[in-house]
Amino acid sequence: MVGLVSPLPHGTPVLEARGVRRVFAHRGPVGGETVANDNLDLTVHAGEVVALLGPNGAGKSTFLRQVAGQLLPSAGTIRVAGVDIVAHPVEAKQFLSVIPQECEPIRELTAAEQVRYFGAIKGIPRAELESRVEGILHDVGLWDQKDKIVRELSGGFKRRVLIAIAMAAGSPRLLLLDEPTTGLDPEARRQVWQLIRDLRRRGLGILLTTHYIEEAELLADRVVVISGGRFIVQGTVDEIRGRLPYRGRLIVLGADRLRPEAAEELKALERRWTVSLREPATVWFEVSDPFNPETVGVLARLTSLGVMASLRPVSLEDAYLSVVAPSEALA
Amino acid sequence: MTSTLRQTGIALQMVFRTTMREIGLILAFVVLFPLAFLFFLGAIVQPGLRTQVVVGAVMMETALLNVNVLAQSMGADKESKQYDLWVSLPVSPIVYVTALAVSLLPFSLLSAVLTIGVGVLAFGVTIPLAVVPVLFLGFLLVWASTLGIGFAIGVFGRTPRQINQVAQFVGIVMTFFAPVFYPVSFLPLPLRAIAYAWPITWGTVLLTGLLSSNATSVLEATVVLTAFAVASLVFIGRGIRWREV
Repeated sequence: MVGLVSPLPHGTPVLEARGVRRVFAHRGPVGGETVANDNLDLTVHAGEVVALLGPNGAGKSTFLRQVAGQLLPSAGTIRVAGVDIVAHPVEAKQFLSVIPQECEPIRELTAAEQVRYFGAIKGIPRAELESRVEGILHDVGLWDQKDKIVRELSGGFKRRVLIAIAMAAGSPRLLLLDEPTTGLDPEARRQVWQLIRDLRRRGLGILLTTHYIEEAELLADRVVVISGGRFIVQGTVDEIRGRLPYRGRLIVLGADRLRPEAAEELKALERRWTVSLREPATVWFEVSDPFNPETVGVLARLTSLGVMASLRPVSLEDAYLSVVAPSEALA
Repeated sequence: MTSTLRQTGIALQMVFRTTMREIGLILAFVVLFPLAFLFFLGAIVQPGLRTQVVVGAVMMETALLNVNVLAQSMGADKESKQYDLWVSLPVSPIVYVTALAVSLLPFSLLSAVLTIGVGVLAFGVTIPLAVVPVLFLGFLLVWASTLGIGFAIGVFGRTPRQINQVAQFVGIVMTFFAPVFYPVSFLPLPLRAIAYAWPITWGTVLLTGLLSSNATSVLEATVVLTAFAVASLVFIGRGIRWREV
């Protein structure tokens, strides 16, 4: 591998945040303060993707800005590859690459120029620069576009330019991605996902924020849910899904147009299973195991009675909503 | 220090290349700016004040452009979030600010040379040949002394719009309220005290001192402008609000 060099062995901590807190004081006659986040502990390891999920205003970007050294914490410590970002920002940033939310590359330069310049600024030795730039451009799929002025590139390619700039560092350890696929079309989004997987495989620790739950489900080794400035849940996708008291859903559609024997069957089910949603045409049942023979048998019986029904396992979105917005989670 | 210089050199190349891709507009500005002052020289200014007007125009092309370009470039970078990208890089803010400011310096100097040329050839302003090299050092000192103002506007401004508004307001103050196009003695006494708080005023004192071979004025202005330049670099180097505190 040419583009990205010197990652640490998988499992080595590349980000250690302990007791991070940020308070914003209000100006003006009323005064007061807002606690943007509080008591945040997080470790990200080399070769690991951690997704930070949370509603708008939960404090995701604030935390990322603190880790990136853009916003000083009011309390707590943040170490990037063992270096304190507050006390030694320039040294810590040697190990850090950041793609800020909604950031645009420089429109008047080519992709190759930007990777070359930012790489040199970030400490890639002159002797290695050209081969590293070439490797990075190949790695992110920009080689054929390398001499195009950025303003002529599509949104997906612009995002790749930013990822290429992030990779062009002397000693990259930690990559911070603030909503990396927002605004991208589905194809471009999948391409960015593939890049993130490649970077993880190569030993980079990645902390990303996203509003797309399926993005976290597909990419993240661990998910951290933040709400009101606090981490309320941390764990693997399976561990977080496992927090729900049920493992799947039986979904019945057209419940207002059932034959009498089907309606009877449905009433009998309602006495056995918890209903998580009831609308005139739709009923959702919570099931403890969507794959056990009894549950599958119920589905077969309903289908034989002409009921439009399906079974699905719980998703990360179900679990996320159950902790962030229980009323929306239908649990 | 070596690392900062190396990074500044690379950042400067990058910003300069970006600037060169928009060269048409910049060159038009470089040519039109001096021509605009023909109006003052030809229509309004009495012959005795022509040197003062040339100095004023040069001040606009070095100091005013510096402040405006620096602040507005930072505003544009904040808009495109490239500012956040720069803050996350392992660099001192001096690298970023110097690259932005220096990238347009050659054009400012070219504009200043054109202005002086118009003054000399078309309006009989006299400039001793021996002063020309020192004049360039004077331009650079004026430029360095105003870096801090541009940085302060750019870094404290919360939005690009706010930054543009403040930069334009400061530009108006610099153009009309600092004694640039007229001698400082034209101002009432209380306003003179305020005028001397601006590096622009001292830049005018320096340049007029050079053109009129007034060694005392040159020395005084050099000391004060050097102090402003050092203060600018210290202010930028400390990175106040480069990281939000």
